[in-house]
Amino acid sequence: MSALALLGAFGTLLGAGYGFLTLLARKETQLSLTEQIAFSWLLGTGAVSLLLWIFGLFVHGILLPGLVSIICLSLGLVGWRRMVPRPLRRKPNLFEIFLGIIVFLEIAIVFYLSFVHTLGWDGLLNWEIKAHYAFANGGVIPATYFSDSGRAFSHPEYPLAIPFTELWLYLWLGEADQFWAKTIFPIFYVIGTFLVVALGKRFTGKTWNGLLMAAFLFFVPQITVEVGSAIAGYADFPLSIFYLATIGCLFCATEPKNDAFFRLYAACLALLPWVKRDGLILWIVAAACGVFVILRTKRSSRHFLALFPGLLIICGWRFYLSAMHAPQAAADFLPMNLETFSSHLDRILPLFSALLAEFHNLPIWSLFWFVVAVGVAYLLGQMRNPGTPVLLNALFVPIVLYLLIYVFSSWPNYLEHVGLSISRLLLHVAPVGFLIILLAVSRRRVKSPAPVHERGVTCTMAVSERTPVVELA
Amino acid sequence: MTVRFSYGRIAHVLLWGGLAVASLGMSIPKIYSGVTQYPLRPTGPLHTCDSYLKFATGASGASKDLISIFQSMTASKRIIIFTRKDDAFSSGLGMTTAYLASPHLVRLFEISGTHPDNELSKMNPDELAAVVFCRVNRPNWLPAGKVIGSGLEVVSTSEKKVRR
Repeated sequence: MSALALLGAFGTLLGAGYGFLTLLARKETQLSLTEQIAFSWLLGTGAVSLLLWIFGLFVHGILLPGLVSIICLSLGLVGWRRMVPRPLRRKPNLFEIFLGIIVFLEIAIVFYLSFVHTLGWDGLLNWEIKAHYAFANGGVIPATYFSDSGRAFSHPEYPLAIPFTELWLYLWLGEADQFWAKTIFPIFYVIGTFLVVALGKRFTGKTWNGLLMAAFLFFVPQITVEVGSAIAGYADFPLSIFYLATIGCLFCATEPKNDAFFRLYAACLALLPWVKRDGLILWIVAAACGVFVILRTKRSSRHFLALFPGLLIICGWRFYLSAMHAPQAAADFLPMNLETFSSHLDRILPLFSALLAEFHNLPIWSLFWFVVAVGVAYLLGQMRNPGTPVLLNALFVPIVLYLLIYVFSSWPNYLEHVGLSISRLLLHVAPVGFLIILLAVSRRRVKSPAPVHERGVTCTMAVSERTPVVELA
Repeated sequence: MTVRFSYGRIAHVLLWGGLAVASLGMSIPKIYSGVTQYPLRPTGPLHTCDSYLKFATGASGASKDLISIFQSMTASKRIIIFTRKDDAFSSGLGMTTAYLASPHLVRLFEISGTHPDNELSKMNPDELAAVVFCRVNRPNWLPAGKVIGSGLEVVSTSEKKVRR
């Protein structure tokens, strides 16, 4: 019975996501199966959680999941009618099959790990708690929860993408079940590997590059086994996957006329602040990168509308919190103003040393950041390609901004604050680091931007020795 | 198809191959211990709360007991939870109890030491549904409540009044 309910929950979620995907990508762009599944999941979790929240303002009880299910099915129908074309399939070579088997085994281990472990501390008390309370209250978080000072520890002000995806499972299962709630997190890992494989193919024109990177995703302990990893029920890993999708799509959108990926970028961008509050920083960085791409590729000013959905979500959530009398300021931070900043400037150097120490924290990151540094060195010679500064800024600027946030830490020992959370914050940008490594390993030389047909299989934004036609041949 | 070899290409392959091998060598022991460290746990709707409560109190399946205790109380009244400062177990126990106490409003008191007499004496018992002690001693003048494992006690004030 549980299996059927889970199938229904995931099916409707993917259906809704696929519907949105077909509306955004239209028939003009070919998307591989892995891309279609990955974007359907990301857009589906975003859409279902937003629909539950918005409809929950007006209805509750059985009507709420009923309404959302009808919309999901309608979107699924739209998707079925407007199917996104898939590129021509070619027979995988032996090396690709070998890597595919490795990735499959790794995914199986991540599922096993997530079932072996309980939800992590934040996974239970910051995220699942909201799903549990909403389920017990007919699908709507009780108003008293937001103003209850006794439950301020659970951060009522945190956004609802993850808890309401869990709630969606609960509504289908008919009970709040912490065990089954964990299933969504290894699925995000699967989506992460799919995205790396697909973007690898698009960036480099070779499937094995993406498969190799996807296989290495597993070997970063912070992604697989550490606190806040893909198995802990925290929002950090899902946020990192949304960020990967956002930046990956923007990189592909640096091709002239590749508007389908620009629309996908806009959709993923909008969902960043809906996954976690820190997503606001990632939203700012990714939006700035988007503005850069619009200006650099001389796109029309209507593309600035891509920022609008995210702004709407940010403002809508803030307005909702005010209406619910929820505390909006984080207790862990001092008021963020110039005065506080200047009076705590002496923290900057110790903060940078703490960051450097984290980079070579081998039990948590292995050699990942060292490898990223080598990748960055490779890309520095390719700054004329608009995609390269996008990737580098998407990696470095959030790290610097996160670090500066600790200048405002209200903890008596702010370095302890850093130590407890910096690895999870770095996790947000780690998958983008994989994109950088991917480009460096493939050693693609980018000469000058050139238009590529939208129906092309790869998103090569520049002249390369490999074209989609050559690649398929 | 011809493959062109150059020193640059060989250096490139050696560099990335070396980095890959070194990364794997560094990661595999950690990942292996992460995978083999824990056995499969029993499943259940409240399995995370149960695990936390078992870890902190030693009691199995305590979540259901706590929920049924809280459900037997007037929902409009608040539950007071006492935890100890600088005791992560106590703090964790307090927050897990607060999670399970829904739909009651809760108030968490973090006290120095283990005797909450001062704080309790200032409270109006008519406004309370229960007082929960997480690794904190119940004052002797308060009637005994339901003890769960070691270190967690729930005293319902709807049955017995707190002395003012």
